[in-house]
Amino acid sequence: MTIIFLLIGISLAVALTFLGAFLWAVRSGQYEDDYTPSVRMLFDDETAAEETGQPTT
Amino acid sequence: MSVALAPAAPPTRTACAHCGDACPDEPLHLAAEPALPFCCTGCRAVYELLAASNLCTYYRLDAHPGQKIKDLELPGRFDYLDSEEVQEQLLAFRSPTLARLTFQIPQMHCASCIWLLENLFKLNPGIGASRVNFLRKELTVSYHPADTSLKEVVQLLAAVGYEPQITLAELGAQPHPGNRRLYYQLGVAAFAFGNVMLLALPEYFSFTAQLQSLFGRFFGGLSLLLALPVLLVSARDFYRSAGQGLRQRYINLDFPISLGLTALFVTSVFEVVTGHGPGYFDSFTGLVFFMLIGKWVQQRSYDALRFDRDFTSYFPVAVTLLGPGGQEHTISVKELRPGQRIRVRHQEIVPADAVLLRGAGQIDYSFVSGESEPVPKAAGEIIYAGGRQVGAAVELEVVREVSQGYLTQLWNNPVFQKETRPTLETYANKVGRYFVGLTLLLALGAVAYWYPRSPQMALRAFTSVLVIACPCALSLATPFALGAALRVLGRRKFYLKNSAVVETLGRADTIVFDKTGTLTEVQRTAVDFMGPALSPAQQQAVAAVARHSTHPLSQRLATALPGSLLPVAGFAETPGQGISGMVAGVLVRIGAAAFTGAAPAAKPEPAAAQARVWVSFDGLAAGCFVLLNAYREGLPEVLAALGRRYQLAVLSGDNDAERERLQQLFGPRAELRFHQSPQAKLDYIARLRQQGRTVVMVGDGLNDAGALQQAAAGIAVTDVLTNFSPACDAILEAGSLAQLPTLLAFCRAALRVVLATFVLSFCYNAVGLTLAVQGRFTPIVSAILMPVSSLSVMVFATLLVRLAARRRRL
Repeated sequence: MTIIFLLIGISLAVALTFLGAFLWAVRSGQYEDDYTPSVRMLFDDETAAEETGQPTT
Repeated sequence: MSVALAPAAPPTRTACAHCGDACPDEPLHLAAEPALPFCCTGCRAVYELLAASNLCTYYRLDAHPGQKIKDLELPGRFDYLDSEEVQEQLLAFRSPTLARLTFQIPQMHCASCIWLLENLFKLNPGIGASRVNFLRKELTVSYHPADTSLKEVVQLLAAVGYEPQITLAELGAQPHPGNRRLYYQLGVAAFAFGNVMLLALPEYFSFTAQLQSLFGRFFGGLSLLLALPVLLVSARDFYRSAGQGLRQRYINLDFPISLGLTALFVTSVFEVVTGHGPGYFDSFTGLVFFMLIGKWVQQRSYDALRFDRDFTSYFPVAVTLLGPGGQEHTISVKELRPGQRIRVRHQEIVPADAVLLRGAGQIDYSFVSGESEPVPKAAGEIIYAGGRQVGAAVELEVVREVSQGYLTQLWNNPVFQKETRPTLETYANKVGRYFVGLTLLLALGAVAYWYPRSPQMALRAFTSVLVIACPCALSLATPFALGAALRVLGRRKFYLKNSAVVETLGRADTIVFDKTGTLTEVQRTAVDFMGPALSPAQQQAVAAVARHSTHPLSQRLATALPGSLLPVAGFAETPGQGISGMVAGVLVRIGAAAFTGAAPAAKPEPAAAQARVWVSFDGLAAGCFVLLNAYREGLPEVLAALGRRYQLAVLSGDNDAERERLQQLFGPRAELRFHQSPQAKLDYIARLRQQGRTVVMVGDGLNDAGALQQAAAGIAVTDVLTNFSPACDAILEAGSLAQLPTLLAFCRAALRVVLATFVLSFCYNAVGLTLAVQGRFTPIVSAILMPVSSLSVMVFATLLVRLAARRRRL
């Protein structure tokens, strides 16, 4: 039954990873603006096309 | 002849390709894109600029996203941004290679705006990156000081129609740190709750007895380790708030919460250390987690709205100072001293009380008093700070420092010192206090009963009572009920600063209104014509001429009269006098009585409050238009509904010309006061509150700021949400004013929901206490009772508020 110690250790490690990921996300400001990214992701990435048509911008 | 022109076809106008407004009869075109119509040169210039940089995606993302450009580009308008100290204060980060700052841009409203603002680097290569926070209406720009300057960045933004708001308040202000702490606390609590629950599970089932005997100590110790950060990090704010309350000799709801949490934790540590059992760590972490969720629900805020603005958010950053030799230079408004001479240009704000030295002052006080009419000022007259000059530049001599002005000294009043506002006596805190007394009494009673029989049972009963005394469910009732109410009200364009305002609104018994801008609508005008009625053709002729002028009276006249497309020839504007033009061969003159050649006898008594505009056709006086401020739509119904329940009053800074009309609207019981200075408004509210009334003030301008602050709840009415509104507890969009009675009734209903939820949570507490005094409150009972009570209270409160909203069709 001593395997329990190992299993609990692993499960805690996984949980701690997720906690760390969450704290990192908050720290990097991802919870401050929950609207703009939803719009931003819909913009077409057309910088490449434009640069060919517009040499110097 | 004019009859033939009269049935001018209902105009089917083309929409401007940039801003979407109706174009004039002959829209402007661009040489490269002849198919696109533009309403003005300003809009065309923006399109040209964007097209040149291949940024026309802007127009594809959203229909007509553009801002109408006021094409009065004033030279030197942004010169103050070159000043070293202004930059010092505005920039958040500064080094020789990079500078970064955050602008407030209230104009942004759609996906196109976000796209363009984040592609600014294509328009100015000196800009490194720009990032939008749409909800806050903020734009963070970083640029290379070597390639461009702050002034150029702001000029570029202004040129594409997104001129940032740079005011005195922004100086030295830091970008919002955001409320990250609650997220950290929630994260830690959720992590600990989940894991501790897992570890506590073997305790609750008989078939795991072997597991329990083997690992009990280990699980207990691990739970203690996991619960420690919850106590130290997540539960910290409850302890802090309870401590604050105690220091003010006041017991708030957080006090019993802290007491319960401490009892829970200490008991559990004792049990684990002595090897008695697993303790209540699962209940402890769960409680903290649920209560933090309550906090999170409650702190829903409207990021784009500011509820704490004072005059500094409205005043400019810098002003043009005139040296002894007449040379101009820019200084910060904060350094302005009495005796200095300043120049205020078109559309600039007079930053301090000053005497007019030279020039024709036309001061627009619309933000101060809500009055839309510019006030003419002659040399030698004093001009109070806050007015906006309309017309040519004027020279002024400063009389008082910015903070000591007639208007601004209002903010020196102690009401504006936040600390002096007493802690709000909410239902939750009141109930919490009785709760503490009751449970302490019960705990002692239990000890007194058990001690002679079994000292161990006595200890157990004592701690159990204290544990169950943690009014967790009770503390969740208010956040969930009021948080849900906040969202319902937000959907109806009534934005509250925080959920405590719902409670204040629900208990109000007196409502005081400001008149101009609150009861009346600045944009809409009721026009009366005095004199022989005009024919439709004549009305159209007047409208056609008035449409050509930018004077506010002409604009109001033009919007009030039927639309007209008649061509005007020989349009001329005589400043301060009037306008004239030929329409269909008739000379139309509009303006002052003398200008139009009206009989002097018809001159109105000087006290008359209304603005009058005289008209003549071919030199023949036809009569005059009287422009009245129109009351908001549905006002009589609103006042009738409110009058049945509340004591009403009006505080107006204006003269009493409309007393009769108002008395009719408000009913005989309402008190009407006119000629009220900002300070007088504040004092009136203070007197009402001394009489024990719960006063709600409804106002809009800076002159109501004191009254809004003094009132139990101040509601600022605004036509455009992102426009300036003074510090207040709630912002109401003017269009929703008609719903005010329903909204207030809903607030009262929300309070009843809170009380009903209190009853529910008391039932749970009664069950818990019954078990506790008998010493039968075991960890498993706690582990079941606590989450069940918390969850059911959340659901119950939210559902009841939703129901109340639906019943009122909100």
